[in-house]
Parts: sequence; structure tokens; C-alpha cells
Amino acid sequence: MTGPFRLVAGHIELTMNPQEADALLAVPQLLESAGVTDADPVAERLNQTPYPDDREASGEFRRLMAEEMTQSRAADRSAFSLTVEQSPHGVTMSVGEAEAWLRVLAEARLVLAGRLGISRDGWEDELSDANPSVALLHYLGWLQQSLAETLEESLS
Amino acid sequence: MTTTPRQDELGDTDVDLDRPWNVVVWNDPVNLMTYVVYVFRKLFGFPKEKATRLMLQVHNEGRAIVATGPREKMEMDCFRLHHHGLWATMERA
Repeated sequence: MTGPFRLVAGHIELTMNPQEADALLAVPQLLESAGVTDADPVAERLNQTPYPDDREASGEFRRLMAEEMTQSRAADRSAFSLTVEQSPHGVTMSVGEAEAWLRVLAEARLVLAGRLGISRDGWEDELSDANPSVALLHYLGWLQQSLAETLEESLS
Repeated sequence: MTTTPRQDELGDTDVDLDRPWNVVVWNDPVNLMTYVVYVFRKLFGFPKEKATRLMLQVHNEGRAIVATGPREKMEMDCFRLHHHGLWATMERA
């Protein structure tokens, strides 16, 4: 295991530097405004319907679930913020908090990718990480990979 | 081979409501393979081998059925997949 996350005595530890901590502190703000208006290119991806060809069923699903999704994502962002604010050098979190991190990382990557117009596999070779959004997408991917591997250890 | 009429030929909406639904997960270029395997294991309790096989099916074929069951339960599974950022839809089984 070479990534920045480690499973230690039932908790998850993340080692980082202050520059990485700054990048992570900005993530919740990126997500708060994402998909709020239909003009946002990621709105459709974030506000999915299980019935893309059925307007009536989609409306009913959204009526029942949209508020719960909004609240669940806000709770994830809150858990993420509280953890990342512990220290700019590294943090410790419960498995439950790490689950919230995983969802925040996934959502942030969808938002960044959507705004970069990424729509097919192979973008890693086409987009330069001189672009800060591309660099952040790669960094959050590196975290997603390590955290998913670490959490998988906790399953077995 | 069979003389039993299909349910949708009976024209009975109560029977129709009981028909199961599939949850379909679609390929996307952003979520990492390791993450998708973890989500399948966590949400559905699949062993690693099954989660990996389904993830590869999504990646190579563009989609995979990950759950089948009553509509209400499948909608909740879709919701949980959406909450994890996966692209998921429903279809009649």
C-alpha cells in the first residue's frame, strides 16, 4: 500500500502537506454550487433520474428523493470539512467519516470532469495537468484510489 | 413450449406492478475501477470476485445489471449508487 491513506487500528489515517490541505479545504465550496442550476454542465450528472425516458416517473422520483440527496451530500461535506480542518499535515477519521470522504471525492471529480467537458475514456492522455482543474482531478483520483483500497481492507 | 400467457398479456396492472426491475450501472470516464468495485461490495455485499466481474462488465460492455427486485427497493439502490456518484438507471427485468 503506497497511497496516503492507511488503516490503523480500525481508523483511517491520511498523511498530507499544507498545500494538499489547502486544495482539500476548497473542495466543499466547489460542491455547494454544483448542479444547482440546469445551466451547469454537471447538473444532469449530479441530479440523475433512474428513468431517463420517462418524464413522469423521473418527476416522481425527484419529488421523493431530491431533498434527501441534498441533505445526504451536505452531511458528507460537513464530515469532510470537520476532518480536513484537524491539521494541515495529516488527519485521522472513522470508517464512517472515510465513507463520506469517498463520496465527496467522487462528486468533486464528477464536477471537475463535467466542467472540463470530459465525456469519454482516455482523457488522461489528452488533457495537460498544467491546467489546475486537471491537476486537481488527478490528485483527487489518487486519493480516491488509495481510500477505496484502504476501506476495502476494512471490509475483509 | 408453454401455454402460460406472459404477464404483460394479461392486462392486469396489479400483476404488472409486481414485475421486478433491474438496476443498470453505466460506464463513465471518471470513477476509478477500484472505487466502483468498493461501492459494489459495500452497497450490495458482493464478494470481491463478483464486484470485480461486474465492474469489468461495465467498463468493457458499457453497462451491467447489478441488482434485480421490487421497484421500490431498486429505486433505493439507484439512490445509493447516485449518492456515490455512479451512473445508474432502472429497467424492467
